[in-house]
Amino acid sequence: MNKTLKISFSLKNTYRVNGILFSLKQIPLLKRLLPSTLYKVKGLKIVANIISVLWEFVSAFLGKFLYFFTMVCGIGILYKELPENEVFLHILLFLTVIGSFVNTHLFNPTKDKYYAMILMKIDAREYTLVNYIYSILKIVIGFLPFTILFGMDRGVPLWFCLLLPLCIAGMKLTYAAITLWDYEKRGFGYNENKLSKYVWGCIALLLGITYAPPAFGFALPEMVSMILFLVCIPLGAISLKKVLTFRDYYAINKELLAGLTNQMDSTVATQLVKQANEKKISTDTSITSNRKGFEYLNDLFIKRHKKILWNSTKKISYVCVCLVAAVLVGIYLLPEEKSAINKIVMTWLPYFVFIMYAINRGTNFTQALFMNCDHSLLTYSFYKQPNFILRLFQIRLREIMKINAVPALVIGVGLALILFATGGTDNPLNYVVLIVSVLCMSLFFSIHYLTIYYLLQPYNAGTELKSGTYRIVLTVTYFVCFALMQLRMPIMIFGVMTIMFCVLYSIVASILVYRLAPKTFRIRT
Amino acid sequence: MKFVIEHLSKSFEKKQVLKDINFTFEEGKIYGLLGRNGAGKTTLFNCLNRDLKVDNGNFYIEDENGVRREVVADDIGYVLSTPTVPEFLTGREFLKFFMDINEKSIKNPKSIDEYFDYMSIEPEDRDKLLKDYSHGMKNKMQMLINIIAQPNILLLDEPLTSLDVVVAEEMKQLLRSLKQNQITIFSTHIMDLALDLCDEIVLLNHGELEVVEKTDLDSSEFKDKIIAALREEENE
Repeated sequence: MNKTLKISFSLKNTYRVNGILFSLKQIPLLKRLLPSTLYKVKGLKIVANIISVLWEFVSAFLGKFLYFFTMVCGIGILYKELPENEVFLHILLFLTVIGSFVNTHLFNPTKDKYYAMILMKIDAREYTLVNYIYSILKIVIGFLPFTILFGMDRGVPLWFCLLLPLCIAGMKLTYAAITLWDYEKRGFGYNENKLSKYVWGCIALLLGITYAPPAFGFALPEMVSMILFLVCIPLGAISLKKVLTFRDYYAINKELLAGLTNQMDSTVATQLVKQANEKKISTDTSITSNRKGFEYLNDLFIKRHKKILWNSTKKISYVCVCLVAAVLVGIYLLPEEKSAINKIVMTWLPYFVFIMYAINRGTNFTQALFMNCDHSLLTYSFYKQPNFILRLFQIRLREIMKINAVPALVIGVGLALILFATGGTDNPLNYVVLIVSVLCMSLFFSIHYLTIYYLLQPYNAGTELKSGTYRIVLTVTYFVCFALMQLRMPIMIFGVMTIMFCVLYSIVASILVYRLAPKTFRIRT
Repeated sequence: MKFVIEHLSKSFEKKQVLKDINFTFEEGKIYGLLGRNGAGKTTLFNCLNRDLKVDNGNFYIEDENGVRREVVADDIGYVLSTPTVPEFLTGREFLKFFMDINEKSIKNPKSIDEYFDYMSIEPEDRDKLLKDYSHGMKNKMQMLINIIAQPNILLLDEPLTSLDVVVAEEMKQLLRSLKQNQITIFSTHIMDLALDLCDEIVLLNHGELEVVEKTDLDSSEFKDKIIAALREEENE
């Protein structure tokens, strides 16, 4: 047992440490500085190990603290009408029920299980039990300080606060035992990462029971909650016996880890990605084109990928139309809100950068381009001729701009309509700036994604995303857009800035693509 | 025409994969490139195809009059072991697209169906999406593009390894019939295939290219000589 626990720790540490080192090697500048022998540098291993151990400690306590601070007590203080202890126990009880089946540990397909049981053939039963018992102990120890801290603060007696972690562990054990028993009876393997729609329904229902009744002045009486919690201790003890005597852990883990096996085997994973992308190609035999050369290639590409390119953009546009209509109806029904909405439209334009970011089809477009077109054609010399690369870039830019412009136009015109309906603005130029700037945002994202695709071409021949720089650019794009959500600025100022930035970015991007793409638009090796 | 490589080298961090390669390939010959796993055959091809930047050295084409010129994209045809074709096009559409954009450079163009007949691609398969083609048929399409393009240098990276015997034999015949006006460099791990198809055997050993002279050896002795040369690396 001790040996298995030691192996298990060492295994988790090794892959966490190697994972950290691998991540460091993905950072463009560090990549050149760090040698390939990095994985054997002892000092770095020690640092990474310390981080890894700290993470183990943090994961035992921090998560639980945040859980109590936000989900139990944070929301709990909203129900001022009810006794604090009743609300505390009511919320904790139902959240514990949810946690017992969405956070089981036993049925969570993790990498360490895959490495240990599938690749290294460690005894599945011993490995599972040792790790499961460890996780249960972590729950008891991790919960204890916070059940005392938050429980006593909410007027729950100390003796019960001390027992609460055991009750929580007992409920988890009970669910685990029921699932194991179910597996023996029906052969049904549970996977907490692949919940069925019924389980999701249960979660929604239980969340409703957790938070809705206290809002209407009802919570389970303290005594009822306590009894239900306490019952979990003997149930847990009985369940522990089932968990310890269950024999078929190898089979259950093999089924649980089947999906992970595909993910971990890069060849299989690549094949799956490739197949998934091939499925996006329309097999409609009536699709043809009477164009020539690259326009012909592009025309067929767009027509055969209509489902992922145009259909989703249409759906987004319909949703936007409905939202605009709903707001207009709202304004009609609640005229007193007009000035508040008018103020929002006048100053919330930066917020729409994030919305345009979220609805942009740029990454889907470039991914489909690579997987189903460039991945193969880039192996042909004729396709890599500089004038051909640039010609196709122009055509593709035109297409993605068209695709993204539809919802942008709907949003721009919609916002202008809302502005008008809520009393309008002193300066009619605001309407023009509003529409043009939203269109410019969409234009920016179209150019941005296609440019970074052409300049960084992040995929290799195995269709794996290999460029750390590309990932960083995507992340930075996200954070910048997210940060802009917090900004409030008048339409005229932000709109004009957006338009100017977009024009400037387009010029710089075009120069960069024309200068560099013939060299950078290659399959990564 | 000659294809001349001078002082070509390529390293990955501290590992020098290609070391100061100097070699001249001649028109009309098929060169069999042999090397151990990890010897750098694909790296060499990627460098020649400019998919990888070389650390040092250059390569160029020298015509009959000894005039040298830079290798351009059109000069190289590269056939990979795993055939890659644009899955969203049909075989006919792929050919049409290719012929459209290369209409000025294709010498003596034929009709699309004539090309299909030439490669023994059946009429019922010609309008199927390429994603539904078998491995062998995709390989034929890839070869067909390279045949129509008539590159001066054809790089083949283990192209026959996973083909069935009939298609493999068809491909061998095709390569023999095409070799006259180009330089064909054929990388493979199958010794018999290399001996059967290739005019010269070149080893990529210690990051360098060297010809294995056959002189008056019989087939079996020649094989032994190649194996011995490849083993040298291991013994050093």
